Amino acid sequence: MTGGPSGDRILYVDMTSQTTRFEPFPEAWKLLGGRALSAKILLDQCDPACDPLGPDNVLVMAPGVLAGTAAPTSGRISIGGKSPLTNGIKEANSGGQPGQHLMKLGIRAVVVKGQPKDPGKRYGLELNAEGAKLVPADAYKGRWNYALCEELAQRYAKTASFMSCGPAGELRMRGASVACTDQDNRYPARHAARGGLGAVMGSKGLKYVAIDPGRTGVRQPADRKGFGELCKTYTKGYQAGPQMFKHGTSSVVPIANMLHTFPYKNRTSGQSPDVATLDGARIVESFATRGGGMHNCMTGCIVQCSNIVHDAEGKYKTSALEFETLTLLGANCAVKSWEDVADLDRLCDELGLDTIETGAALAVLMDAGQMEWGDAEGMKALLRGLPEGDAQARAIGDGAVATGKHTGHHRVPHAKGQAIPAWDPRPLKATGVTYCTSPMGADHTAGLIVNPGLQPDQFAWESQKAQIVNAVCDSSGFCQFLQPSMDDIRSFYGALYGSEVSREQIHDIGWQCLADEWEFNRRAGFGDADDRLADCMATDPVGAVPTVFDVSPEIIRAAKQRMPAREDLFSVKATG
Amino acid sequence: MPTVIVPPPYQGPTRAVGRVEVAAGSVRDCLDELEARFPGFRAQVMSGDAVHRFVKLFVNGELLAGPDLERKLEGSDEIEIVAAIAGG
Repeated sequence: MTGGPSGDRILYVDMTSQTTRFEPFPEAWKLLGGRALSAKILLDQCDPACDPLGPDNVLVMAPGVLAGTAAPTSGRISIGGKSPLTNGIKEANSGGQPGQHLMKLGIRAVVVKGQPKDPGKRYGLELNAEGAKLVPADAYKGRWNYALCEELAQRYAKTASFMSCGPAGELRMRGASVACTDQDNRYPARHAARGGLGAVMGSKGLKYVAIDPGRTGVRQPADRKGFGELCKTYTKGYQAGPQMFKHGTSSVVPIANMLHTFPYKNRTSGQSPDVATLDGARIVESFATRGGGMHNCMTGCIVQCSNIVHDAEGKYKTSALEFETLTLLGANCAVKSWEDVADLDRLCDELGLDTIETGAALAVLMDAGQMEWGDAEGMKALLRGLPEGDAQARAIGDGAVATGKHTGHHRVPHAKGQAIPAWDPRPLKATGVTYCTSPMGADHTAGLIVNPGLQPDQFAWESQKAQIVNAVCDSSGFCQFLQPSMDDIRSFYGALYGSEVSREQIHDIGWQCLADEWEFNRRAGFGDADDRLADCMATDPVGAVPTVFDVSPEIIRAAKQRMPAREDLFSVKATG
Repeated sequence: MPTVIVPPPYQGPTRAVGRVEVAAGSVRDCLDELEARFPGFRAQVMSGDAVHRFVKLFVNGELLAGPDLERKLEGSDEIEIVAAIAGG
């Protein structure tokens, strides 16, 4: 392929020697970005047997291929590394501005290696048109994310965005997230949350990354006319459609409850009696009297699924209060009110913790009898005290499996050490096949199939299809809520580089991403026996007709054997 | 006969069947017929006598205003049930 943005680079950062260097971005990798690029770099440069919190782990920050262009809703970024939660490869994807900004500087990936000799030191990484520089950041040690970003906003230009780890990451808690600032207020409300990559960032002494592209315009495609027309047509088509996410994913709560995938009390039920007070419709209703509203998390987003939530006094409380958070910190802990979940969401964002993993861990604690069900004030107090906390708080920060070990409790719903998200594998068995086989562990964004009517002979293909499509989407920079198909994505790639991308090529990109990740995990010691869910998913039923996860190992194995492409592989929309 | 397009999240009662031809003269009749053939279907779309807030009905690609369940249907009409199902 020829044409397209040239002069792109990879930035290598060595935290041991405190040096940075740019390398040219290989021409052969032009169609790689985000998750696929992270997978390739990690397989090539990270020892899969390494200690995830030691110097040999590699932290990758890779925007999608289309980030920084005028393509709608295309600025997402992948954070990758060996996960301290699963001990396998991890990619966590985030919105906000950093992805766009890195690409505007021509930086296709930031690859962070090594570790400062003094684990007590903190550093910031400054990226702008002049280059890259590591600076001391001890003054921000232990800073919670919102206060940190407020200070960084004073220190850096208005055009800068930030990525950071909170106290949870600095304390190397295995549920720690990497925060990214959003478009409007530069609040750290977008998180690359799953799998503990915030702990990897913290283990490298990297407290923040400040990215300032200045007034650089959008990246220009090789076929400007064709790309421009694609952007217009796609945007028009999207805006003429149902726009189902215009009130955010929190509006999914009642449907999920109806389908018995709104887990309650550590997944002992698939429905919550508090669905009405956890429904995202209550959040939308609050806008009329409190202010707040819907907005884009990144420039150029046409979906606008992110909510800005205010308190009863009309003051900002939190942003991006999503379905998964309302489920895992809400229903799954028997918390009744969305307002309490909003407080918990803010606390997780401040500390830099994955709301899914933290909610799952707290539910295990409650199920073990060590906290009352629905004790929202107790949950908030525990989280507020986490940085100075005791062994119990540490266990919560380390996630559901660690909390299970700490309490000796038997019911810990997870796959490969990562807590199962809201979408339950018992009524949604094809999704369960994804949780078993995904290199990520239990990750709904790896391939969500919400079709309770599927028959067993359809599970393997549906899971494989969803995993390939979502891998390509998470490599492209597109948000899964825009729901692009593989045909859509390859059309944009073709116009970006001025040369058609075939169906075979885009299929290969998605499959190779998965193959690289599976190979990393194999070298890390994973085998077929690890492609399973926690026992409780096979023994504890949910649903009007009691249902467990009972998919055979043969079907699960089949999902990892590459199947010939079918037409629907290229037309189905990404769903996560 | 009109055709109903059933989205994947609602294919539980239809056992993964996504397109169903229905002998029905109105949108309401379609939903009644689907319930008769696939028990449990209607509760996914309707809350009592009204369509769930989170469901939209489209007829031939156009949003069904109201939604007007008494809307008369022609033989070639397509009724699509749309609901947002995804979420992080």
